[in-house]
Amino acid sequence: MVIEEIYPETRTYKPLMEPDVLRDVISISLWAGQLLLQHGADSARVEETIHRLGTALGCDWMDVIVQPHAIILTTVNNHQFRTKARRIPRMGVDMRVVSCITDIMYQVQAGHMDRFDVRRELVEIDNYTPLYNRWLIVVMVGLSCAAFSRLFGANWETFFVTWLAASTGMWVRQEMHKLHFNPFIIVMGTAFVASLIASVLSRVIPVGLPEIALAASVLLLIPGAPLINAVEDLITGHTLTGVARGITGLIIALSIALGIWFALWATNGVVGL
Amino acid sequence: MNDFAVVLGMTVEDAIFSGIAALGFALLFNVPRRALMYCVLAGAIGHAVRTLMMEQFMWSITAGTLVGAMAVGLMAKICAHRVKIPSLVFAISGAIPMVPGVFAFQTMLAVIRLPGATEDTIIKILTDVAVNATTTGFVLAAIALGIAMPNLLFLRHKPVV
Repeated sequence: MVIEEIYPETRTYKPLMEPDVLRDVISISLWAGQLLLQHGADSARVEETIHRLGTALGCDWMDVIVQPHAIILTTVNNHQFRTKARRIPRMGVDMRVVSCITDIMYQVQAGHMDRFDVRRELVEIDNYTPLYNRWLIVVMVGLSCAAFSRLFGANWETFFVTWLAASTGMWVRQEMHKLHFNPFIIVMGTAFVASLIASVLSRVIPVGLPEIALAASVLLLIPGAPLINAVEDLITGHTLTGVARGITGLIIALSIALGIWFALWATNGVVGL
Repeated sequence: MNDFAVVLGMTVEDAIFSGIAALGFALLFNVPRRALMYCVLAGAIGHAVRTLMMEQFMWSITAGTLVGAMAVGLMAKICAHRVKIPSLVFAISGAIPMVPGVFAFQTMLAVIRLPGATEDTIIKILTDVAVNATTTGFVLAAIALGIAMPNLLFLRHKPVV
């Protein structure tokens, strides 16, 4: 007796896959999803990309559960199915990874790539190094914060104080990242250094608007991408990931505030300025 | 006429500085080189639209952000078709200049002051917390709604999942 006659719901439009092939497809799709979630894609995009990738590689259906720090995936092909979970250990933003994986997904759908090509590409993506020189990032992120201070109505002296403070803060952030500190401690330390420099400099040099220099110099730490993704997730119905990302953003904001508070306490009480 | 020139000059200045702000964060986010220019453009246009609405038409920051973010979302869709890079890249980098960062940490600075508040200062601190927190929430919601607007209104499709 054929299995479709016993279980009519397992009828399929796609050919039966070998167990080895099915295992390979689920691990590839899960890997791609992990890279997406890890590097700043919203949950709806993760879910859709995994689904399209898996069905293009020969599965009938993919059930994707996106959790704040894990992905659980079930692939279905005829009467057989496989389930696998993978944890996402760290979060960061890397738009090149997101863009490359979306590209791979379209290539597979168009039939230009098979599962071996995808695996080769994923190995390459996982070994990506930053596109831009770290000193360029230090200077440009500092300039970003300085531009923010101009948007808040600062004069040019404040602009340069903010630039110096934020660039030093960015350098501190990179160094602390290399030393494997806790992410929130990194944020606190960076906010402390940046606002310390901003407040001391703006008292030594009379810049006129010390509050603006102080506020703008820590803006490099604001979790913009997680907060936007949080609301995006809430809109698309991924409430759990949305709330989790929002809470992470709140704790980062709290860490920034603590860093500033320590810096103000240090300048007022210790330096005596 | 003179008034128009002044407004134009202010808007262009605003656009230039918000473009620089978007560029720094785009580099931090490792945006591919061929997409950088469009991220800067999206950031500049979005924030300039918001400032124009707020200063010339006296709109609130939430309404201004919604319109600015809609401009960013629309630009992101157009750029995504041109450069073949997902619209998310342009939308996130372009929305960064509008993110209510200062409101977010001022909420937390006020929260830190709450436990030690005396009867004279408690009203001011509580007002600070409430106003900054709600502004942060509403502006963030406006950004996300605005950049999702093309998907919500025009590019609707049957969900694949």
